[in-house]
Amino acid sequence: MSASRDLSVTEHSKIREMLALAAADALEPNESELVMQHVRTCPQCSAEMEQWQLLSRGLRQLPTPQPSAELVQRTCARAEARVIDEREHAWNRRVMISLVLFAWALTLTSWPIVRLVSGGLLSLLDPRLNQSWLGFAGFTSLVWLTGGIAAALLARHQRSERSLA
Amino acid sequence: MSLFQGLYRITDMMGTAALRWEGGVGLEADVAQLRRGDLDALTTLVSRYQNRLYRFLLRLVRDRSEAEDLFQQTWIHVAEKIRRFDPSRNFDAWLFTVARNLAIDHLRRIRPASLDQPISEGESQETALDRLAAHDPAPLDRILENERANRVGTALDELPFAYREVMTLRFEEEMKIEEIAQVLGIPLSTVKSRLRRSLEQMRNNLETRYAGENWR
Repeated sequence: MSASRDLSVTEHSKIREMLALAAADALEPNESELVMQHVRTCPQCSAEMEQWQLLSRGLRQLPTPQPSAELVQRTCARAEARVIDEREHAWNRRVMISLVLFAWALTLTSWPIVRLVSGGLLSLLDPRLNQSWLGFAGFTSLVWLTGGIAAALLARHQRSERSLA
Repeated sequence: MSLFQGLYRITDMMGTAALRWEGGVGLEADVAQLRRGDLDALTTLVSRYQNRLYRFLLRLVRDRSEAEDLFQQTWIHVAEKIRRFDPSRNFDAWLFTVARNLAIDHLRRIRPASLDQPISEGESQETALDRLAAHDPAPLDRILENERANRVGTALDELPFAYREVMTLRFEEEMKIEEIAQVLGIPLSTVKSRLRRSLEQMRNNLETRYAGENWR
């Protein structure tokens, strides 16, 4: 008799601890079922459950503060501008990589032509390459300097266009 | 539970599930479009989440202008990082995780003390429940009937950060426990214990503050 009462007291306090979560619909289905079964037969827990449900309902029915239309518009505009900016950066990066590759390809392919015109292709095979390499370095620097100046001018133009926009 | 209540609950659950499914299909398409770089999808997503996200941020930082700033930052972050989002994951959870992280960074810079507000993780279950039981038997229904939203909203705002976030995700965002665990990066058991403790603390605060007042 006493053992069964102890068991029921234990169950009662265990269920009581679960009531808040039951009202918050945060229990597993089997736990929830256990709680509901107990609540049906225990007036104390039933009253307690009602209180938790009231609180849960109060929380669920809280008014939703709304952001202003202007904030939403501003947010969309800023986020879109950032996406466009990112996209432009990615595009610029790709263009830059392609340009660098192209510039190297152009330098390497045009160098023999320059040599052919200025002193003969065979000098490339000359074991005394020092002179040849110096010429190549000078030629490369000239090509890259020209390319660099052109890129800087383009970037400046693009920046001033963007600031005007 | 009466038969009517049971039927109402089942219908409500089915309705919510149907709405979620319908919303989920549209959402997936919008996210996929945004990942492909379609800016119209960004506008659609902002409109779809504007109220929920703003409410969540406002609940976390408790200041309108800060919430507005974080709202913008969140969407900018989403726009920048959407390609890194794994479409097999839950977009809601990802979005709210981004917002939460930004809010935490912001609070850490501006008001670090608000993050360190102690939570009663160590408080024994008996203590909290006994304190509740010691009050007037049913003051809560009186409290909640009058100016319920105001009182409840204020009481919610007064909870520590760790409790506020779990409460707003569960009751306002109606996230499942698993989703909350994902957003907060904590185990399910911790979500449940925080949820229980926050409810207890909130009810206790409400009953302590408004006990004995005539609300009718």
